[in-house]
This record gives sequence, C-alpha cells and structure tokens, in this order.
Amino acid sequence: MSLLIKNQFDEQQNQWHIELEGEVDIYTSAQLKEAFIKLIEEKKEAIKIDAKNLEYIDSTGLGVLIGALKRLKEYNKDIIIINIKPSIKKLLNITGLDKIFIIEG
Amino acid sequence: MSKAINDHIKLSIPNKPEYVSVVRLTVAAIANRMGFDIEKIEDIKVAIAEACTNAITHGKKDDQENFDIEFILKEKKLTMIVCDSGRGCITDEINIPDLNNLKEGGLGIFIIKSLMDEVEIASDIGKGTIIRMSKYMGDDY
Repeated sequence: MSLLIKNQFDEQQNQWHIELEGEVDIYTSAQLKEAFIKLIEEKKEAIKIDAKNLEYIDSTGLGVLIGALKRLKEYNKDIIIINIKPSIKKLLNITGLDKIFIIEG
Repeated sequence: MSKAINDHIKLSIPNKPEYVSVVRLTVAAIANRMGFDIEKIEDIKVAIAEACTNAITHGKKDDQENFDIEFILKEKKLTMIVCDSGRGCITDEINIPDLNNLKEGGLGIFIIKSLMDEVEIASDIGKGTIIRMSKYMGDDY
C-alpha cells in the first residue's frame, strides 16, 4: 500500500486539514515532504493531520513531520495530529515527539 | 512433544526504497506465524523497516546491489539480522532525541533500541553495518 494525501484549507478554523491514508516510509516520505512544502508556501497556517487511516509511519515520516513543524514554528504555528492509531502513538511517545506536536483524540 | 524450533529464513533485497514495504509484509507474516501478538508485530515491523532504511541510506547506495536480511526463528524468540556492505558509519551509542534541537534524521536507531528486546550494532568503517535485533514472545521481557 502506498500513501494518499488529501488536503484542504479550513477557512473557519483558519488551518490546513490533511488526511493521510496508507503508509509513510522511506519510499513515500518524499511525497509527504513535497505536500507540506507546498501547503506552507501557499498559507503559513497550522496544519491539522487526520491520521485515522494512517496505517504506518517510521522515522523517515517522523523526520518529515519534524521538518514541517520547524518551518511552521517560524510563523508560530503548530501541527495538530488527530485520530492516531495506538502503534503510531507509541512511536511518538518513545521518541518524545508527542510533546512537540499537539496530539488530540 | 514438539521439537525445538530453530529455523532460518534469508532475504536478499535491492537497495531500493520501494522494497522496504515488502520486508515489512514478510516479517509480519513470519511473526504472525510464530504467534506474536499484534502490538509486538507492529514493533517488529517498524524495527526492521528502520534497519532497512538505514541499509539503503547509509549502505552502498548502489540501487543495482542488494543487502541481506536473515531471520532466525526460535521457540519464543525472533532474531533479525540486517547487513549492508556500505561505509559503516553508525555507532552503537543511544542518542535520546533532544527535543530542543530536533533533527530530521537520526531517530531510526533510537527507535530500534526502544522497540526491540536485544539490539547489537556492528559498524566497521569501510566494511558495512550489521544490525542484529531480537524480540521475545510473552510478557517477561
């Protein structure tokens, strides 16, 4: 399975809403990186990631998230991640990344 | 009475990112067959993918060549050995991620050490890197 990225700008909440479906690994992480760069270029607003259908992520994907957060922090914006699967939550816990992203739900 | 299990499986994988998911599927099937629970299977999948990612990015970097993975299946223990013949540049030190100075890379080995029960890394300059890691079944570990 590969990676599907759906994004739209939520005018009401004034933030990006991204749905990730599939797997983020060494093969698909470049695709995610490009998507983030494009979004942040277009509008420097917070990014909310719906991870309901995100089946897998590893250090390559987490690296992309860290890179995107670094860019957003320059504008004082955050990355919010919702509907995380337990296996992915565990990865965020052990790496301490749950403290730098906003985890909801 | 069943005999003690000591089975070996070997894989040779191209140095190409698109094959890492194939390794994940393979290891999930092996661990499932052995009787690991879902949570541990997820840990094993992430750990092997991190080791493969490491072999592809820090190994020979020649996508016409392969790197090797060996699985050793025992009664209650799965050992995985990932070998590349690259530059051999990683160290066995555990670097706890520094939240004030996060880098976009370098989490892989830390994740492997966190998820697996035993991890040994041998990295010889010029010869390549061998990551050997094991996971036990049951709650004792």
